[in-house]
Amino acid sequence: MYLSIVVPLYNEEDTVKKLLSGLLEVAGKFDFSYEIIFVDDGSTDKTWKIIERLKKTTSHLRGIKLRRNYGQTNAMVTGFDYANGEVIVTMDGDLQNDPFAIPILLDKINQGYDIVSGWRKNRKDHFFRVFLSRIANAIISLTTGVRLHDYGCSLKAYRAECIRSVKAYGEMHRFFPALASMTGARVTEVPVTHHPRTYGVSKYGYGRVLKVLNDILAMNLIIRFSSNPFKGFVLCALPFLLLALFFGFLAALAVVYQWTAGKALFFMISSALNGMAVVHLVVLGVLGELVVSTSDLVHTQLPEITKKTISVNEEKEKNQKTEQDSPAPSPHPRSQKMVFTTKRVGKVKT
Amino acid sequence: MKPKNTKYSIIVLLEETHEDFPQFIRNLHDVFSTRRVPFEILIMANGTGGFLKHQLTELQGFNHRLKAFEFDRKTTQAVCLKAGLKESSGEIIVVCGSYQQITNDSLTLLLESYNEKPDIISPWRQHRVDPWFNRFQSEVFNILVRKITKSDFHDLSCTVKVFRREVLEETEIYGNMYRFLPIVAARKGFKTKEIKCSHYQERGKTGFYSLSEYITRLIDIFTLYFNTRFTRKPLRFFSGIGLGFLLVGLFVMSYIFVQRFLMGHPVGNRPILFLAIFFMALGVQAASIGLLGEIIVFTHGRQKKEYTIEREI
Repeated sequence: MYLSIVVPLYNEEDTVKKLLSGLLEVAGKFDFSYEIIFVDDGSTDKTWKIIERLKKTTSHLRGIKLRRNYGQTNAMVTGFDYANGEVIVTMDGDLQNDPFAIPILLDKINQGYDIVSGWRKNRKDHFFRVFLSRIANAIISLTTGVRLHDYGCSLKAYRAECIRSVKAYGEMHRFFPALASMTGARVTEVPVTHHPRTYGVSKYGYGRVLKVLNDILAMNLIIRFSSNPFKGFVLCALPFLLLALFFGFLAALAVVYQWTAGKALFFMISSALNGMAVVHLVVLGVLGELVVSTSDLVHTQLPEITKKTISVNEEKEKNQKTEQDSPAPSPHPRSQKMVFTTKRVGKVKT
Repeated sequence: MKPKNTKYSIIVLLEETHEDFPQFIRNLHDVFSTRRVPFEILIMANGTGGFLKHQLTELQGFNHRLKAFEFDRKTTQAVCLKAGLKESSGEIIVVCGSYQQITNDSLTLLLESYNEKPDIISPWRQHRVDPWFNRFQSEVFNILVRKITKSDFHDLSCTVKVFRREVLEETEIYGNMYRFLPIVAARKGFKTKEIKCSHYQERGKTGFYSLSEYITRLIDIFTLYFNTRFTRKPLRFFSGIGLGFLLVGLFVMSYIFVQRFLMGHPVGNRPILFLAIFFMALGVQAASIGLLGEIIVFTHGRQKKEYTIEREI
């Protein structure tokens, strides 16, 4: 195995050195080759200078400097693109993640899982932040169907091809496990220790609640409907269709029973406006189909594989409940996975 | 094979015909000659008819440093610039307009400040010599751009710019978005620098432009605003609009609700209820277009990398 540890750093001059020594301490016990990739996300302090200095004494270290601050997702994606490893571990640069959790994550990878997410069971942050993040996690878990306690934890391990095929952008890093599950990846989580913040300040404010809600909506659309947007838009149109029918019905009643003239008109126009929304959404859905079918993204939706994936997970969980040392599931045949790179070949008949 | 050691490539975007054009080129030649490094001048004539061919006879003498190209029909600045870039070989690209906009000293100043390793140098014309109304328009334009794109350029209207070659190669522009190139490039992480220069002369149109000019400029600013912030997260833009409409709709709705149930006014025969429903429908439409945008970005943006690397060790 070859392991790549990717750490995005943004203005972390106080912690870089300590972080590296922590990582090297853990890595000293590895019986496989590894590399540590520090991605400097356009820091304005001395972070890059320190990385350059550390590089001289540490051969396992690689540094990548981005031209400007591109945000955590892009810093991570840079790491994914430049990593040589078969397994990639990401973590925060602020020392809140414990490097000693890495072997625990790798254990799970060796058991055949494709993505292992850290779960900060005892989170050492402000209670309100933890509360907001709990709600976000619950919503993401419920809507995407990939149930994790802690989407926000940066400490995660990925099988390289699973996460690379996602080709993330924007602010997707929170949704990596859910997105990767589209490819049939098997996702699990393990509790990891979390340290209180001792250096620097948090780079996130509370003003992002609305943005995160937007992202959740967008990610759900992508995860569930990017292969078949028409379906998604039709589902969106359903409530409006019901409203249109309801108002239409009332309009009919108003005409038949000769309510005041204004009422009939009002119900009719309400019905028409809702009908317009329905038409609009359906047309957008058709346009969406067009967009998806002209892209080079392959969405050979393979429901039976996904089902199998879920059942393996459930079996695994059942086994874990009944006996502690359950046999590991056999590695998932890679060929069966939904691949993202070849040309769309049409729907597979099931 | 082009000689690789050319330092400066001066690309002259010739769009207007002026009598003293050969004088301008000669002057450019003199300024760069004093620097004693290899350079070349590329003239890109854009829809000026036979003007360039006529003027070339007067520009004999520095043939080996002069390349002239002519577009038969008027095309955009972006095309001219790309074509010029393809033909040039210098590591520093200096772009100029049809006439001399800043003084020789200022041009030298721009070139000198390149030693501090910025990627783009943009002049900021001081002591402007054009009429106050022009200055006012230009000022409004620049303030608008600064506020909307959150950049800090004071004088984008000046055609003269100095670029490192990579900047032009890696930054894509289209149409007449050349004036915004520094902003687009800055978004890609290139370092920019603004140098105070003195204004030499103004030959452009003075007074009011045509209405379509103003509209085009506004559209350009909006395009830039959208492109720099939302190309990878369209839903945030559209759901903002949608939410706005929806809130207006809900507000009107609650107003009607209060009137109907607390004050007892009838509602059915007044148009205000339509207004509320109409706004809410608009909100849904705007937001749903954002969803389509997300699908487009996810399925068609896969080959495009969002980040740019400065160094790797």
